[in-house]
Amino acid sequence: MQAMIVVKKKERFAMRQPNAVDFWRGFALITIFINHVPGLFYERFTHRNISLSDSADLFVFLAGWGLRYAVGRADSEVPIKQVVMRVLGRAVTLYAAQAMIVLIAIAMLGATARGLDNPLILEWINAAPIFYNPADAHLGLAMLSLQLGYFDILPLYVVLMLMAPVMVLVHRSAPNWLLPMSLALYLLAIVLRINLPTWPTRGQWFFNPLCWQLVFVLGFTLARERGPGRIAREHLHLIQLLAVPIILGCGVMMWFSWWPDPTKVPSPRLLFLVSKTYVTPLRLIQFLALVALFSAVYPFIVRHAGRVVGCLALLGRNSLHVFCAGSLLSLMAQIVRVSAGASILLDTVIMLVGISLLGFTAWLSEWRDRLGGKTA
Amino acid sequence: MKGSLALGIAALAMCCAAVAQTVPPLPSSDAAPGCMAGTGVAAAEVRLPQIGNALANKRKLTILTIGASAASRTPSRDYYDIIERYLERMFKGLDVEILDRGVSGELARDAAERIKLEVALDSVDLVLWQVGTFDALARVAPEEIAQTLAETAKWLRAHKIDLVFIGLHYVRSLETDATYQAIREAVRRVAAEQGVLRIGRYEAGEALAKARLGQSADDFDATSSGYACMAETVARALAAGLFGRMMPP
Repeated sequence: MQAMIVVKKKERFAMRQPNAVDFWRGFALITIFINHVPGLFYERFTHRNISLSDSADLFVFLAGWGLRYAVGRADSEVPIKQVVMRVLGRAVTLYAAQAMIVLIAIAMLGATARGLDNPLILEWINAAPIFYNPADAHLGLAMLSLQLGYFDILPLYVVLMLMAPVMVLVHRSAPNWLLPMSLALYLLAIVLRINLPTWPTRGQWFFNPLCWQLVFVLGFTLARERGPGRIAREHLHLIQLLAVPIILGCGVMMWFSWWPDPTKVPSPRLLFLVSKTYVTPLRLIQFLALVALFSAVYPFIVRHAGRVVGCLALLGRNSLHVFCAGSLLSLMAQIVRVSAGASILLDTVIMLVGISLLGFTAWLSEWRDRLGGKTA
Repeated sequence: MKGSLALGIAALAMCCAAVAQTVPPLPSSDAAPGCMAGTGVAAAEVRLPQIGNALANKRKLTILTIGASAASRTPSRDYYDIIERYLERMFKGLDVEILDRGVSGELARDAAERIKLEVALDSVDLVLWQVGTFDALARVAPEEIAQTLAETAKWLRAHKIDLVFIGLHYVRSLETDATYQAIREAVRRVAAEQGVLRIGRYEAGEALAKARLGQSADDFDATSSGYACMAETVARALAAGLFGRMMPP
C-alpha cells in the first residue's frame, strides 16, 4: 500500500517530456545570460547581432503561449475563477522572485564596491539611487518603478500577469476581440509614446508593458487551436516562405548597419524605427518571422541532437529559477571581469561555469520537486 | 547723431563684454566653491552653434542626456536640475528642457544607436553624452569605443546637433588600471579630433581628490559631491559654448 502511494506520487510529479516550448525557453535563458554580461567575448555569437529581436521577445512570447495551458483547451476550459487565481498567484511569485534577486544584487554591488574600493560599482545597473537616495529608492523598488539594469524583465512579467485576467475574460466572452484590442493598445502607445514612468529616477520603463503585452497576447492567441493560431498553422508553409527574405534582409541590414536615417522617416517615427522598449513593428514582424521559420527546426534538432534538447528543455521547465540564477550569475560575471580583467580564456571559463550552474539550478529545482513528491 | 551712434555701439560692446565676463552665481549646491578652479579642466575653445541658434530662434533648448543617470544625495539637488536652472538664469527667457534618457551601465555602442533614435523622436539641440566609464568596466576595446564616438560625432554634426562628452569618472583605485586609462585617452583623442567639447571629469575628480588629501572623505563621498561640481562645470561649459571660451568659475 505504501509502495503504491509512492508510485502514484512519483507519477504525479513526473517531469514533462522535452518539448519545443521548453527547448526554446532554455535557449532563451542561455542567450540572456550571455547577453547580460556586456563585453563578454561570446556575446558576439548570439543571434541578437544579426536579428532585430532577441531572447526577450522569445521569452515573453513563450510566456503568452504558456497561458494556453492555464486556460485549458477549447473543449475543456478551466473555470475562469481558477484561471484568475492562478495567474494572480503567479504575479505574486514573480514579484517575490524580483524582490529577492534585487536584494542579492544590491548586496553584491555593495560588497564589490567596498572590496575593490571603487564607488563606481554602486552606480552600475542603475543602482545609484539605492545607495545615494535609499528612502525613495526602496519605495521605487517596492512599486517596481525603480528597476536595476538587466533586472527589468520580471517587473514586465508581473504587469503582464496582472493584465492576464482581463485578457482571459475578453478571450472567453469575445475571442475575436482580444487580438484587435491588444493591437489597438500597442499602436496607441507607440503613436502617442505612452510608457510607464520610472521613479525616483527620471525616465521610462525599459520594457514598455503597453507594447510588450502584444507579444504576450500573440503567444497566447497563436497557441490556441482556433482563431489566428489555426489560420497560422494552415498557412504555415506560405508564412515560412515569406519569413525567409524578412529574416535575411534584417540580418544583412544588422550586419552592415544599413539603416535608413531615422530623422528622415515619416511620422509617427516609432512605427518605422527599431526600438526594444516599444517593440516596434519592424522588430515584431522580424521576430514573428523567426518564430515561423524556426518552428520547423525543432524536429530536426530532436532527431540529431537529442541530448542538447534534453538539457535545454530542463532549463526551460524551470525557467523562473534558472532566470533568477542567471541574472545573479551574469552580475557575478561582470564583477569577475572588472576585478580580474578580461580575456578570451576568462570569458570562456565564465560561460562554461555559468551555463553549468544554470543546469545545476534546474536540476536542483526538479530534485526538490521530486523530493517533495516522495514525502508529501 | 554720430556721437549718439558711437555711444550706443560702445554701450552694446560693453554689455556684450559684461555678459561674456560675468557669470551669475549658481544656486547653493553641494559642490565646494570654485570646485573646478585650477583643475585645468578640458575647456577647448569649442563652440556650440546649435545652442546659439536655439537661443536666437526659438528660445527653447532641448538637451538629450545619454549615459548613466547621475546620482545625488537628495532629489532637489538633481544633477540635471542644476544645469537647467543655471542656463535659464543665465539666459533670461530661455526654456531649457532636459531629456534624461540615460541607461545606467549601457555601453557606448548601444548608446550610439539610441542617440539616433532619441534624436529622431525629439527635436534635440544638444547631446550630453556621459561616456567611457562603463565601457572601461566592461573591458571594451578602446579602439572600438573610439570608432563609435567618432562615427556618432560625425552623424550628429551632419544633423546639426551639438555634442558634449562628459568624460570618465575619477576613482583612485583606477589610476593604474590600464584599460580605464586607455579608454580615457581614447575619449580625449576623439574629442580633440572631432572638435567636440569634452568635460574633463577625470581631471576634476583628480584635483578634488588631491585637495581632499588628508581629509577623512573617501572616494564614496567624493563621488556624490563630485556630481554637483560636475553639474556646475557642465552648465558653465554649455554657456561658454556660445562664446567659444570657458567661463571663469
